Amino acid sequence: MNWNKEIDEIHLRRKLAKQQGGAAAVEKHHEKGRLTIRERIDALLDTGSFDEIGEGAGVPDYDAAGHLKDFQPANFILGFGQIDGRRVIVGGEDFTVRGGSPNPAGLRKSVYTEQLALKYKVPLIRLHEGGGGSVGGTGNDKKRRPLGEPVFTESRFVPLAQTLSSVPVATAALGPVAGLPAARLVASHFSVMTQEAAVLIAGPQVVKRALGHDLTKEELGGPQVHLTSGAIDNLAEDEADAMAQITRFLSYVPDNAWSLPATRDCTDPVDRCEDALAAIIPTSRRQPFQMRKIIDMVVDKQGDGSSFFEMSRKFGPSLITGLARMNGESVGIIGNDCMYYAGAMTAAAAQKLRRFVDFCNSFHLPIISFVDEPGFMIGPDSEQAGTIRHGTAAISAVLQSRVPWASVQVLKAFGVAAQAHFGPDGYVLIWPSAASGALPVEGGVAVAFGREIAAADDPAAKQKELEDMLAASQSPFPRAEGLSVHELIDPRETRPKLIRWLLAALAAYRTQTPEPYLTGMRP
Amino acid sequence: MQIKSEIAGSVWKITAAEGDTLVADDVIVILESMKMEIPIVVPQAGGLTKLHVSEGDMVAEGQLIATLD
Repeated sequence: MNWNKEIDEIHLRRKLAKQQGGAAAVEKHHEKGRLTIRERIDALLDTGSFDEIGEGAGVPDYDAAGHLKDFQPANFILGFGQIDGRRVIVGGEDFTVRGGSPNPAGLRKSVYTEQLALKYKVPLIRLHEGGGGSVGGTGNDKKRRPLGEPVFTESRFVPLAQTLSSVPVATAALGPVAGLPAARLVASHFSVMTQEAAVLIAGPQVVKRALGHDLTKEELGGPQVHLTSGAIDNLAEDEADAMAQITRFLSYVPDNAWSLPATRDCTDPVDRCEDALAAIIPTSRRQPFQMRKIIDMVVDKQGDGSSFFEMSRKFGPSLITGLARMNGESVGIIGNDCMYYAGAMTAAAAQKLRRFVDFCNSFHLPIISFVDEPGFMIGPDSEQAGTIRHGTAAISAVLQSRVPWASVQVLKAFGVAAQAHFGPDGYVLIWPSAASGALPVEGGVAVAFGREIAAADDPAAKQKELEDMLAASQSPFPRAEGLSVHELIDPRETRPKLIRWLLAALAAYRTQTPEPYLTGMRP
Repeated sequence: MQIKSEIAGSVWKITAAEGDTLVADDVIVILESMKMEIPIVVPQAGGLTKLHVSEGDMVAEGQLIATLD
């Protein structure tokens, strides 16, 4: 006697499970230019590192003689793996089985994903393509009793919510993603979608029936919608690019909230001073400049490019957010982009800022802020968007920060919104071009000196005279004289100054025990 | 291809003419928005077949500025 029959069946079941939805379904999926979930996992992970969990979960089918003839696998694939040698949990729907809409075993595995990441405290990656629940249910026998989960079963959304304060979560939409998978897609710190992906609460047929809109799923939830809605952070050129962006995102963050980001080797000199920084800010206030060029010149170089990895570029575009390295240390970067409304803080930019600052605090990333803030966006659309509440919430998030924070004021810092760029007890450098105040001279003079201007023989000349006088009074030198800032610097010194501060600040920060970042109520 | 404005503002200057052959990053229109001069550039090379705005026009977010062949 031996166990050969059972052992053979284990191997047969594994083989059948690897057929996923069957050869025809896999071929149809490939014809759409998409990889299967198993191919995606292989593309993401270090070669041969996938260690599957629940490979045997599914529904067997027997012939009349009781022999196994087929096996429908769980349509959610899950397991441990490694990315750049680091352990992660990875999971995703199998679109070739029921279009990714969960079958019973698939649902169990998908719900277990977050629990595993929490238990082992490792980064979580979900590769989504699939629908949500079906009115037909998951295929369970409806006559079975008792029906449904017990009332005391923990909601699957509890671990989903807990992961965000515990481990880095990166997700991808690689095809249509709707319902529960869409909710899980956005329960992440970084999300990416391909051009072919669509992210939907409900699909075209449901929308047409309820609201009468006749739209394709791409029109409803394609990248042109969700990169600007803020639901998804970045666009990927293709699936390979999606995996590359997730890998790059992970390179900046620690394994969990109880650990610090790793220090990488850095060959870029600390004292690299870029001459172009001295002239990058135009002397005319009407002329814009490229904040991303400043960021790229200051942060570590990486290969032929820069270590700056931008996230959420299209959402709230007057604010730039991303990750970078300084002397090999991971940092969060914030900057205003004056190409969009002079860099003003819109409701969207404020939401983006709050989420980014909370993310940096969750994973112990020091923040470097490049400031050119004209104030909250003004006008009827901005008022209607509730900008003041979103903006004040962002300021609260900034001032509750516990990570080291440095601000480099390159040009404007006006109004209440300026507070959103200076962390508590932060290190403050200003450039010779820096100008600060309650509001910019151009708008403020007309309000504060309205009567005086109107009474002048030549009102336009009077207004210009007052503007010139007040602009001169915004000189940065008195701020340095009064130690209102740490230093007024030659812009070329920005990199060495920031790195010397960062090393000192990190040495102090690292004397504390890292722990999850939990905050209270905000406006 | 359609070139749309990503911001609201007014057309301060038009710097290209219909029929021009353009290369990527050429400026076609400068908007005045929040007291700043913001250039609208073409993302790729092409011929400028139609300008849909004139100097002084108010432009809304997402409004069509020019058509490139």
